[in-house]
Amino acid sequence: MADKEATVYIIDMGRSMGEKRYGREQSDLEWAMTYVWEKITSTVATDRKTAQLGVIGLRTDRTENELDKEESFEHICVLQEITQVLLPDLKRLRSKVKVSNTNKGDAISAIVIAIQMITKHCKKLKWKRKIVLVTDGRGTLDADPEGISEISKKIKADEMELVVVGVDFDDLDYGYKEEDKSTEKEINEATLRSLVEDCDGVFGTMQQAIEELGTPRLKMTRPVPSYKGQLTLGDPEHYDSALCIDVERYPKVMIRRPLSASQYVQRTDLSNDHTSTQSSETLLPDGDGRESGIPGVDPNGLTSVKNARTYQIIDEDAPGGKRDVSRDDLAKGYEYGRTAVHISESDLNVTKLETQAGLEIIGFVPWSTYERYISMSVSCVVIAQKTNTKAIMALSSLIHALFELESYAVARLVTKTDKEPVIVLLAPSIEVDYECLIDVQLPFTEDIRSYRFPPLDRVMTVSGKEIKEHRNLPNDALSAAMSAYVDRMDLSTFGKDDEGDEAEYMPITDTYSPVLHRIDQAVRWRAVHPNEPIPPVYEILTKYSKPPDQLVAKAKRQLEKLVAAADVKKVPPKTQSRKRNRDDIKPLSGLDVGALLGSKPKKPKITPENPIPEFRQALDVADSIEGIRDAAQQLSAIIETHIKDSFGDIAYPRAVEELKVLRDEMIDLEEPAIYNDFIKELKQKLLSEKLGGDRGEMWWEIRKGKLGLIEKRVSEQSNVGEEEAKLFLSSK
Amino acid sequence: MADDNKWKPQGEEDEEEEELDETAYKTAKDAVLFVIEVSESMLTPPPPMDAKKQERDSPTSAALKCAYALMQQRIISNPNDMMGVLLYGTQQTKFQDGEQTRGGLAYPHSYLLTDLDIPSADDVKALRSLVEDEEESKKLLVPSAERVSMANVLFCANQIFTTRAPNFNSRRLFLVTDDDDPHANDKALKSSAAVRAKDLYDLGVIIELFPISRPDHEFDRSKFYDDIIYNARPLDPESPAPISGATAPSSTSDGFSLLHSLLSSINSKAVARRALFSSVPFEIGPGFRISVKGYIIFKRQEPKRSCYIWLEGEKPQIATGVTAQYAEDTARSVEKVEIKKAYKFGGEQITFTPEEVSSLRNFGDPGIRVIGFKPLSMLPFWANYKPSTFIYPSEDDYVGSTRVFAALHQKLLNDDKMALAWFIARKNASPVIAAIFPGAEKLDDNGNQIMPAGMWLCPLPFADDIRQNPETTLIRAPEPLIDRMRDVVQQLQLPKAVYDPKKYPNPALQWHYRILQALALEEDIPEKAEDKTIPKYKQIDKRAGPLTIDWGHELHRQYEEWRAENEGSAVPAKRGAKDELAVRGAKKVKVGEGDGGVDDGEMKKAIVEGSLGKMTIPQLKSWLQAKGMPVGGKKAELVERIEEHFEHK
Repeated sequence: MADKEATVYIIDMGRSMGEKRYGREQSDLEWAMTYVWEKITSTVATDRKTAQLGVIGLRTDRTENELDKEESFEHICVLQEITQVLLPDLKRLRSKVKVSNTNKGDAISAIVIAIQMITKHCKKLKWKRKIVLVTDGRGTLDADPEGISEISKKIKADEMELVVVGVDFDDLDYGYKEEDKSTEKEINEATLRSLVEDCDGVFGTMQQAIEELGTPRLKMTRPVPSYKGQLTLGDPEHYDSALCIDVERYPKVMIRRPLSASQYVQRTDLSNDHTSTQSSETLLPDGDGRESGIPGVDPNGLTSVKNARTYQIIDEDAPGGKRDVSRDDLAKGYEYGRTAVHISESDLNVTKLETQAGLEIIGFVPWSTYERYISMSVSCVVIAQKTNTKAIMALSSLIHALFELESYAVARLVTKTDKEPVIVLLAPSIEVDYECLIDVQLPFTEDIRSYRFPPLDRVMTVSGKEIKEHRNLPNDALSAAMSAYVDRMDLSTFGKDDEGDEAEYMPITDTYSPVLHRIDQAVRWRAVHPNEPIPPVYEILTKYSKPPDQLVAKAKRQLEKLVAAADVKKVPPKTQSRKRNRDDIKPLSGLDVGALLGSKPKKPKITPENPIPEFRQALDVADSIEGIRDAAQQLSAIIETHIKDSFGDIAYPRAVEELKVLRDEMIDLEEPAIYNDFIKELKQKLLSEKLGGDRGEMWWEIRKGKLGLIEKRVSEQSNVGEEEAKLFLSSK
Repeated sequence: MADDNKWKPQGEEDEEEEELDETAYKTAKDAVLFVIEVSESMLTPPPPMDAKKQERDSPTSAALKCAYALMQQRIISNPNDMMGVLLYGTQQTKFQDGEQTRGGLAYPHSYLLTDLDIPSADDVKALRSLVEDEEESKKLLVPSAERVSMANVLFCANQIFTTRAPNFNSRRLFLVTDDDDPHANDKALKSSAAVRAKDLYDLGVIIELFPISRPDHEFDRSKFYDDIIYNARPLDPESPAPISGATAPSSTSDGFSLLHSLLSSINSKAVARRALFSSVPFEIGPGFRISVKGYIIFKRQEPKRSCYIWLEGEKPQIATGVTAQYAEDTARSVEKVEIKKAYKFGGEQITFTPEEVSSLRNFGDPGIRVIGFKPLSMLPFWANYKPSTFIYPSEDDYVGSTRVFAALHQKLLNDDKMALAWFIARKNASPVIAAIFPGAEKLDDNGNQIMPAGMWLCPLPFADDIRQNPETTLIRAPEPLIDRMRDVVQQLQLPKAVYDPKKYPNPALQWHYRILQALALEEDIPEKAEDKTIPKYKQIDKRAGPLTIDWGHELHRQYEEWRAENEGSAVPAKRGAKDELAVRGAKKVKVGEGDGGVDDGEMKKAIVEGSLGKMTIPQLKSWLQAKGMPVGGKKAELVERIEEHFEHK
């Protein structure tokens, strides 16, 4: 669990915040709120009960705070007490943050109120306390030095963090200075700055704060060990020589998934009055005046989608050949091939291999023989038991020995008793202030598919000859051009470090997950701006989507040479498999099989037993559109017969395959209309139950196989548009 | 499986979108029909080769054993694939049940031992009894007096594929025979066989020939089979071009048993059935593209998950689940088009239009775009989260892709470099940054390819995905202790100094299916699993025992010394290497001083010489840490802080 957090935002809403300055399209308040909303919504997004916040309005028209009896605390308004802020709170806040008609109200007093709020809320408990003040510094400030030093003492004593972000404040480190600043603002800035410095806070200018919003924040996760036990070499049960070290294993890489969406549909009972459809018990009383939480229902008028699961078995007597069975009549089991192997509930573990937790070294391999591509999984770090100094020293000796010998250890890991064993590779990692082993899982025999591909450095001919010069092999010019280009496009020194020295460009720590942060940004934006379009994606998320311009410019000549030497030609889309070209289909001997049959009829007969080959062969000999049409007609009739005679769904797969062949061949022959006419007719027959009763399942198979109309996008000759094709398939 | 995804908890739709193509990849199903000849010569075991006791199977029985082994293997590795066994040349005749009337007469002397289907326990049993029970095999394996027409056999196979596996992505016929010219004297039969072979080709069935040479007769493909076998595979453009046209004839002459030789030929016919992504543009430089395909070579094989079984009928039956979606408020059923996506935020839902949802995920068209190149050494070992994808050039979209890819492959291999790329696998797939590095071709001792040449695309984690190292104390082992450990490590290298996955079957997976098999076939349940991943304890003790004991003593010595220095009073520790390490509660030690760190003298010297800036950030930090000073900030700030420290002194 992360620490509890309480943050109070003080937002200056004075009249002066309503102005638009320095060519900005937003008023100062709107501009500043980009920053504040971003911060608030990222807290809301954590969905943590312990991440709480409060909001104070400064220089408000009204006065509403604990100390509002005192004159110096006028025009300060608590907009939100410290709590876990939810979406309705956010909406309410949004309506409250408005430029006021006054410039009265003291920022220092507001800080005092914030301190009070936090103190009252957090008492002496362990909280991370923080105050964020956003102001333009144009109000009056009570700069009484004694008061200020009291405040800074209190802030320090309670370990609060004070952050002041000012609109158009000077920040020389960042490089911003406001020209023609009013003396008053200058004094105010100085006052706030010294206060912040006194209590080791953060002082910055709004421009920088907004600019940095795009840099994603990394979420800290408390490490949770995935294995605690011993690292052993040998068997400590039976051999005195066995070596054991107490270790712990923690994740090193763990993919952070983007926020996931859930499924909802529009409620259908919305016409009714909201409350009347709900029984009163479901309304949760809510002191803060929040909207009541009805499970699954949401003020947007959405209700969640649930899944219902039913089970079917094959029953030849039932209509459609299947019937539903009750879940209670079902037992657990496994499939062995197509045989159901029933295992009673109590024996369910019988197929589980019994194992004992442990990390056991099998042997060692040198770095040089390890192929990186066999790494299978996320990586973890293995360290010695944290408080065990002897184990730390022991593991250190293994880490260093592996490092010096440039070796890895191969080990069998069982994280918990009766978990499946995995094989991991343990690599030494030594940094100035950190030592550990890093592990990654290795494949088992069953995890590899041995597919074969022709080699890339030679070409084997059918006769078994090996040749080194071929259009698929690079010639010397291409190899040289490639080499020069690759060298030019080197990233290893293209980046800059903090000192401006050469450094690695695009290290992993500079890359952020685009989808993760994009969705995060959009959701938070939409929460505050329900009716505005989503702002563009932050530049940092797409920075590494293309090579850096400067580098591209540097390698321009090398790339030109490479392109010339490569002589790559794009295949025009037309010829891409869309031409029926079957002339060169011959067995290895080159025998002309078609000629074997002697003279052939122009319209060969297609039999229901062997329709696909005979259809293809009929198309081969067809020399006119009539021939094609005749073959297609014959196949169509066979398809209909197959469906009509099908017992249940037994012949559907055949019919689907035949349809697919018919469709593909008509596309290749550029005769989409023949297929389109047929499939329209077939659909009509299927749905009107003309092919032996209810053939709804068959229509579903056609939809699933996307065997609908051939559209123009696929075949030029088709007059069917995308919409029509879509409608055809989806309508019933 | 149609409903594989339906058990996913709500809210995981996004991942589902991502994985979609991988499941499609899995369901690219394969149907294999073994067609095995039964004849006098096929039933004659080869003459003994040498004095050694060698298994002597007749070619037919070797082929059956092979089919049996393959069947068991495929139940585990490809549970959705079909298999069948057809014998031809038998005295008996048998075709599909229920079609006796037609088929029985149409295909004389063809015996359909196992119909093409996902194997059942009974199929395994039947095949096993034929392989193991001599009585059984003697009954069935009787050659017919009549010669069988190959055209008929091929058409029989055609019918089996047409009816049993009409829309399988991959359909293969494994033909095992020693007769290279079945119709030497009958031209008409020869021709009609060629015609039937063409039918199979047009149906999309690949014939793989496994010829068997006899010691007195070399199998000659050109006599008959070159008219039967087709080289290319145009019906499935996703599969790579065949690496070699024909399988070398199997015989016992090379010292292997016939079975072994057949098995290895059959395994070598495993082709990538479908690309994970196909013809994706690979942009090597702005505007300069070739096309590549991606294949899954490594994937964790998991046992098929448990299912529900209906026991009320005559035979237990697997119940298929059907999921329907309904709205929670009114329980009405919901159509897919109605469903909206919403994100939970602050206790409620934030909605977007479908266009907005897709635009949020859209970071451009699918493709691999090279950003630049780095030495392979800049790829940290830990930067991995899933298996790499194999990529191989394709000429489909760009002619010349292969040679360009080969040139890049060569360059990266020679210079130990990698490319970094922005990678979008499919439309709307999440973009990732990937390292692309070359892999050299690997051959086994017989020159057979065990790993193809190509490049590997390894998706890298983002900064968001990196977890902080857990805090701990640093105690660096003293040199003598490291030396002892080095001795141990050197003694225990794996055979051939390499991790060979082929030697380590997954024990949990094997056990799962071993038990299922025993239950399904009503065999005795084995008591103990064979587990090759368990270290060889005896060997470890024998080869490194004395060395680990030395290391244990050294550790004891070094640790006591360290403790005396760091903790004052040393408590005598227990002896014996195995449990003396469980010492707990030791005080946290200061880091930074002594080892690896810089001491005050050096620091002062560096300031005087003005070389403070040359120290590494970790050096500076560890010194500051030891002084209890803040370690945050840029290097310049650290330097300043240290300089200030000495000024005030």
